[in-house]
Amino acid sequence: MSNAATNDVKRPNKIHRYKPKDSSAPGDDPTPDYMNLLGMIFSMCGLMMKLKWCAWCAVYCSFISFANSRASEDTKQTLSSFMLSISAVVMSYLQNPQPMTPPWQ
Amino acid sequence: MSPAEARLNPIASRSSQRILFPRRLRRTCFHLIQRVNMKLTLALSLVLLVFLCQNVGGKKSHKPADLDDNEFAEFEDFDDEGAEQEATVEEEADFPSESDDIVKTQAKKDDDNEEEEDEGVVENDDDEFEHFTDEDEFEGFDKESRPGKGKSHEVPDLKIAKVPIHLRTNWDSFYLEMLMLAGLGVYFLNFLAGKTKNGKLAQAWMSSHRSILEENFAIIGDDGLSKEAKGTGVFNKESENVYTLWCSGRTCVEGMLVELRLLKRQDLINVMTTIMKPASDQIIVKVTMDASSMDKFCFCIGQKKVMAKLLKEQPDLGQFTEKKAVENYNLPESFQLQSEIGEATSIVLDKKVCAYLEKYEQQIEYIHISDQYSGAKSQYDENQSKMPDVRPSLVFCFNVPGKGKTKTSDVDGMLPLMKLVFYCVDKVGRLALSKEKRLKAEKNRAKAAEGYLKAAHSQLQEAAQLRREEKRRLAKEKIMNEEDPEKARKWEERESKRDMKKKQAKTKMMKVKGM
Repeated sequence: MSNAATNDVKRPNKIHRYKPKDSSAPGDDPTPDYMNLLGMIFSMCGLMMKLKWCAWCAVYCSFISFANSRASEDTKQTLSSFMLSISAVVMSYLQNPQPMTPPWQ
Repeated sequence: MSPAEARLNPIASRSSQRILFPRRLRRTCFHLIQRVNMKLTLALSLVLLVFLCQNVGGKKSHKPADLDDNEFAEFEDFDDEGAEQEATVEEEADFPSESDDIVKTQAKKDDDNEEEEDEGVVENDDDEFEHFTDEDEFEGFDKESRPGKGKSHEVPDLKIAKVPIHLRTNWDSFYLEMLMLAGLGVYFLNFLAGKTKNGKLAQAWMSSHRSILEENFAIIGDDGLSKEAKGTGVFNKESENVYTLWCSGRTCVEGMLVELRLLKRQDLINVMTTIMKPASDQIIVKVTMDASSMDKFCFCIGQKKVMAKLLKEQPDLGQFTEKKAVENYNLPESFQLQSEIGEATSIVLDKKVCAYLEKYEQQIEYIHISDQYSGAKSQYDENQSKMPDVRPSLVFCFNVPGKGKTKTSDVDGMLPLMKLVFYCVDKVGRLALSKEKRLKAEKNRAKAAEGYLKAAHSQLQEAAQLRREEKRRLAKEKIMNEEDPEKARKWEERESKRDMKKKQAKTKMMKVKGM
């Protein structure tokens, strides 16, 4: 390696700015989007059909979506999905305070 | 009577004799009677005593076992237990029927009372059973000690307290909810742990590579948003497992993007997947060259598993390169070589690079050098009629050793590979192909461009054809809907004439061509 000429390598006048990747294009990892959508579907199912397990799955899906989310994504959507799933759980228990029964029983 | 009087009165004397004689008898009889009387009275008093004792004892104890002994047993007071009474009814089969009925009705009455008491309501005795409570009817029947009535006085009004539904069940029955919450807790803890670990790895990479970066670039770390091009010196956090760093200000290089694609340690599901199928953290270094700095050639060397995927994804590799033998360069068998121009390949794969490839065989995923680099092909755009934007680039993908269980010391071991990057960059910048190779490369690119144009043209033609068909269909529909038959006939005639003309024109053209 040219140790003597290392100083010559730098060119402060040839600086190019960073262009962030286009966020609208589908990224490498579609997991957060899928999980977001799945979470919303489970929340609606849990609310409409009063299924406790659906509501709990919705909470898990929104959590996974949050964990995998990109920094460039809007946090509002993730947060709204989370709040929706929490409300689904709360509503199912208010309507029917009985404990959840596993499907095999 | 005295004896003198007896002489004077012989009858009287005889009676007196008679009296004398029975007197003795009388006396003895009297004595006897007295004795018998005493005995009788004794016996009677004993009987009475026994009877009294029994009566008193019957009040205190409710033993139905005395039934046999006492003829008054059927009128004795029983306990409330209907079952007990029923049992006694069953046991004492030799009871007179009357007493059976009495017992049964009494039991039934007690049962009724019990049922009524369960509801918390005390009702009066039924009128039809009143004659059983008449004291005059039965001897020794004690009205006061009736169990049914007594019980109704003793038992207070029962008020069932209203317990809320969710507190009736035990907390243990909510075990599934506890499991869910525990799972969420575990996921959250793993999220924090994974996020921290990834952050530490990025920090470790930065601290170990800072010096070499500062030697080569004017600015290190640029988010692209700030007004001035000031080097931040830190990574941009794209997500919890992806960190990017943009460096710029170097000869021959427009800029370098270092992307740390770490494992998703913050996602528990991914962690479990990694346990089953081990994967490595990856460092992708993408150096974008200046347009004039790089000669035209396309080259790629990498692990066999990855090369198949790259060939599909990267259009330039599929278009320009061919598979070449690795043995020519004394490289490990695990590598696969795709090259366009052999001369360029031999220049790039010099001794030093080959030594690196051998030494860091596991860590080098692929090296992709191309002047037609456009990035991964979009899956949705199958028919690419338009030539993608290409930039001369060098892409290096390195695997961090450790296979997931990476320590910060492993990241420090990536420094020699960064040196390899700069070595390759300098080499490619200085590379100059021979004239004929350059012409060959240019020819290939021209061919590729033509192919794109043709594809674009055919697409346009198709689009035009579709439009024409649509027009005709609409016109036909219009005519069909037209009620006037005269107009329809006229339109059909015009159409047939038009078709005839077209056919004639084609045949004319054919004739001219043939000539």
